[in-house]
Amino acid sequence: MESSLLFNFATLAYLAAMVLYISFLAFKKDSIGKSASVVTYLGFGVQTVALFLRWWESYQMDIGRVPLSNLYESLVFFTWSTVLIYIIVELKYRTRVFGAFVMPVAFLALAFINVSGISTDITPLVPALKSNWLFYHVLVSFLGYAAFGIAFAISMIFLLMDTEDRGPSTNAFFGMAALAILAALGYFMAGQGMKTAFWLGLGVLILAWFIFLIVAGAKHKPQVFLFWSFCVTLAVTLLVAMGIDFVYLIPMQHLAEGESFKKHMFEATFLSSSLPVVILSWAAVLGLVFFIWSQGMRLKTFLKQYMPSMDQLDDVTYKMIAVGWPLLTAGIITGAVWANSAWGTYWSWDPKETWSLITWFVYAIYLHARYVRGWKGSQMAVISAVGFLAVIFTYLGVNLVLSGLHSYGGM
Amino acid sequence: MENQKGLVEVASEKIWKFLSSVKLAVILLIILAIVSVIGTVIQQNESPDTYLREYSQTTVDILEMLGFFDMYHTWWFVLLLFLLTANLTVCTLDRFPSTWRVINAPLKPIEDDGLKALPFKREVTVKGAMNAAEERAAAVLSAHRYRFQKTQGTGTVQLVMQKGAYSRLGYIITHISILLVFIGALIGAFFGFKAFLNLPEGGASKFVYLRNEPMWDKIMASLGVADSPVVYSPEGGLPAMPLGYFVRCDTFDVDYYINASGIPTGMPSEYHSTLSVFDLNGQKILDKRIRVNDPLTFHGITFYQSSYGMVPDGRGKILLNIRRKNNPQAEGETISLDPGQALYVPSIDRTIRALGFAPYGIRNPATGQVQFYHTENQELINPTVEIEVLKGTKPLFRAYVMKTDPSEPQMPEDYRISYGGYWGARYTGLQVTKDPGVWIVYTGFILLCIGPLIAFFGSHKKLWVKIQDRKGQAVITVAATSNRNRVGFEREFNRIVDEIAK
Repeated sequence: MESSLLFNFATLAYLAAMVLYISFLAFKKDSIGKSASVVTYLGFGVQTVALFLRWWESYQMDIGRVPLSNLYESLVFFTWSTVLIYIIVELKYRTRVFGAFVMPVAFLALAFINVSGISTDITPLVPALKSNWLFYHVLVSFLGYAAFGIAFAISMIFLLMDTEDRGPSTNAFFGMAALAILAALGYFMAGQGMKTAFWLGLGVLILAWFIFLIVAGAKHKPQVFLFWSFCVTLAVTLLVAMGIDFVYLIPMQHLAEGESFKKHMFEATFLSSSLPVVILSWAAVLGLVFFIWSQGMRLKTFLKQYMPSMDQLDDVTYKMIAVGWPLLTAGIITGAVWANSAWGTYWSWDPKETWSLITWFVYAIYLHARYVRGWKGSQMAVISAVGFLAVIFTYLGVNLVLSGLHSYGGM
Repeated sequence: MENQKGLVEVASEKIWKFLSSVKLAVILLIILAIVSVIGTVIQQNESPDTYLREYSQTTVDILEMLGFFDMYHTWWFVLLLFLLTANLTVCTLDRFPSTWRVINAPLKPIEDDGLKALPFKREVTVKGAMNAAEERAAAVLSAHRYRFQKTQGTGTVQLVMQKGAYSRLGYIITHISILLVFIGALIGAFFGFKAFLNLPEGGASKFVYLRNEPMWDKIMASLGVADSPVVYSPEGGLPAMPLGYFVRCDTFDVDYYINASGIPTGMPSEYHSTLSVFDLNGQKILDKRIRVNDPLTFHGITFYQSSYGMVPDGRGKILLNIRRKNNPQAEGETISLDPGQALYVPSIDRTIRALGFAPYGIRNPATGQVQFYHTENQELINPTVEIEVLKGTKPLFRAYVMKTDPSEPQMPEDYRISYGGYWGARYTGLQVTKDPGVWIVYTGFILLCIGPLIAFFGSHKKLWVKIQDRKGQAVITVAATSNRNRVGFEREFNRIVDEIAK
C-alpha cells in the first residue's frame, strides 16, 4: 500500500521538523525557523495526500469508505488535525516557538502508531457506520480535539512560565507520598473487589484538588507547579507504559488471535500480576514526578528568552478554545443527528456521549469564567488542562476503559 | 397586607437574582459534569445479575437506592437539568435588555479626552484643506465598508461609525438554542414514545410494544380526562401502542462482505427489510426497503432497522428463480418449496427437488466442489441449496445454487435456476419511535452551530474619526474600540489609518 509509505515519510518529516524547531529555539536563527516551517508544511502535505490515497485504496479494495473509522486511522487523523491547527496558529501569530512543543507530539504519535503494531488494515465498516455523517462527525470532532490539544500545550507552557517559585521540596515529597499511598490503596482495594469505589473516591479527590487550584490557584503557584509536573508525568507515563505493553505483549504472543489490546492494557507495568513489577512501575512514576518537578524551573529559565508575553499565551489558549468549542459542539450535534437516523434516538447517555458532554461543560465553564467573570491567567490554564484531560478520556479512555457504541474499542 | 407583599417581592427578587447568576451556572455545570461521570463508570440499565457479578449485595442495594443504575432519569438528575434550564432562561432574560440597549445606542461624537481614553488611537497630519482630508477619509472608510455619520463642529468634523453591533446577540442565540433542545426533548418525552416490533417475514402488526409510554397519555389517563390509546395485555406483557395502520415485513436479509475470491465472509455489510404499510381495511399504501441509517417514516412514526433473529423453530421456504437462457433480462418465475420437497414446474416441464439446504455453502473456485458449513445461530451467510431436476421421474442433473457464487453452476438445459431466498425463517427487529419534538431539537442544533461562532468571532467595532484644521494642515485623529478580537481589529485599524495618511 503506497499510503503507508507516505505516512512513514510524513513521520520522518515531522521528526526533522521537531529537530529544526528545537534548534531554532536554541540557535535563534531565522533560516532554521523557516526551514522548520517548510519541512512541516511538506510533511503535512504528504500526510494529506496519504489520507486521500488511503481513501482511494479502500475503493480499490471494494470497501470504499472514509479513512476515519478505526484506532489507527483516528490516531493518524488526530495527528493531521493537530499539525493543521498548529500551522494555522503559526501563520496567524507569526511565531514559531510553539513548534518545538507541538511537533514532538505529532512525531511521537505517528511513531507510536508505527511501532505499536496497531492493525493498519483497511477493514470494512459495520452497517451502523455506513453513513455520510461519519465523515462530518469525525472531521469536526477531531479538529476540535486538535484545537484543545494545542490549547493544552500552550496552557502547560503558561503554567510553567507563571511559576516564580516552585516551593520547598516538601511540596513535591508530599505529592509523591500522596500518589504512593493512593497507588497502594488502589492495589489493595482492587484486590478486595472495590475497584469502582476506589475510582469514584479517586475522582472526587482529584476534582477537589482541581477546584482548589482553580479557585485559589492564583495564590498557590507552587501547587499549580506541582499540578503541572503531574500532568507532564501523566503524558509521559501513558506513552511509555503503553509502549512497554506492546513490546511485552506482542512478541510474547500474549494476545490471542483477534483479542483486543484493551483487555491487557498496562499488564506489563501497573497491572502486572507480579507485585515487584507493580512496585517498580510506581517507583519509576514517583521518580519521574520528582525529576520533572525539579527540572521544570531550569526548562523555564531556558524558555523564558523565547516565549511571547504571558498575555499572548493566555490569548492563544483562549482562541484555541474558542475554535475548539464550536467544533466540539458540531461534533456532538452531528453525532446526535446520526444516532437519530440510525437508532431513532439522538441522545442515549452512552459513555462516549456523556463524556463528550462533560468535556463540553468544562470548556463552557472556561468560556463563562473568562467572558462574564473576567478570569485570566493560571486558573484558566488549569481549566484548560482539565478540559484536555476530559478530551483524552472522551477520545481514548472511554473506549479503552469503559464500554459503549463507538467503533475503535478494540485495537 | 403591605408588609406581606413586600416579602413576596423581596423573595422573588432574591430568587431572580439567584437564578440569574453566572456563579450558579458554573456551579451547576461542575455538578452536572461530576455526577455524569458516575453514570459512565457504573453501567446503566443492566440486569440485577450483571450488577451482582460486579458488586456485593450491599453495594448493589446502596447504588440502587441512590438511583445510580438509571442515573440519568432519576428525579435529582432531571432536577439539575431543569435548574440549569431555569438558570439559562433567567440569565438570558436578565441580560438581554442591557445588551439590546448597547446595540441600539446611537453613537455620538466625543471630545478629545474621550478619544484618548479609547484602546486604539492614532493621530496623523496630512497636507491640504480639511475638505480634501475629509473626502479622503470618507473614501477609505467606505472602502472598508463602514457607514459613518458626520457631525460638523466649529473648525472640526467628526465621523462616527460602528459595525457588528448585532454580534452581541451571539450569546443569546446560543442560550436560546440550548433552551430549544431542552424544550424539544421535553416534547419528545411527553408526546412521543420509543417502542420495538419484531416481525417475521410475512408477518404484520398494527401494534408496537412500548419501552416508554408517552407521559402525556399517562397523565391524562390517570386524571381521568382521556383514555390512553395504549393497550395493556392481560398477561402482563409490554404495553402496546396502536399504529392506526398495519406494517408488514415482506422480506428481510443480511448482506455480507465478499472477499477477494468472491466468497462471503462472516462480516455483515448491510441489514435490510422491505416493509409495507396497509390501512386498516387491508389496502396497501406504500412500501420501502429500509436499512440501518435509512428508516421508514409514516404518519410521524419511524421504523428503524435495528436487529434480527431466527423465528423459534422457524423453517423457511426455499425460493428459486427460473429464467430462460435466451431471455435473461425477463423477470423469470419464482417457485417456493420446502427442503426435501419436489415441485413440478409446468413452464419448463420439469420437476425440481430441493435435496438439501445449508446456511453457509462455499464453492471451491478451483475444483467447483461445494462444501456446507454450520454457522452460529443458523446465520445465513451464504445460503446454498442442492437441487435435483427431474423429467417425470427420471433425474436429469444435480446442481448447487447459492446466494453468492464465485462461478456459475452448470445448467445443461435452456433455463437457469438461481437462488431466490430462504423466506420466513427470520424476523426483523425494528426500533419504532415517535418524536414530535425532534424538529425543535434540530432547530436548536442549527442555532447552536451558529450562535457560538457569532459570539466568539463577531465583534462590535466602533470608530471615531476627527478632522481638525491646524495651520492649513488637516490633523486627523482616529480612535476605536472593539469588544472582541482585539488583535485582528488592531491590524484593520492600522490599515485604515495608514490609508488615510497616504
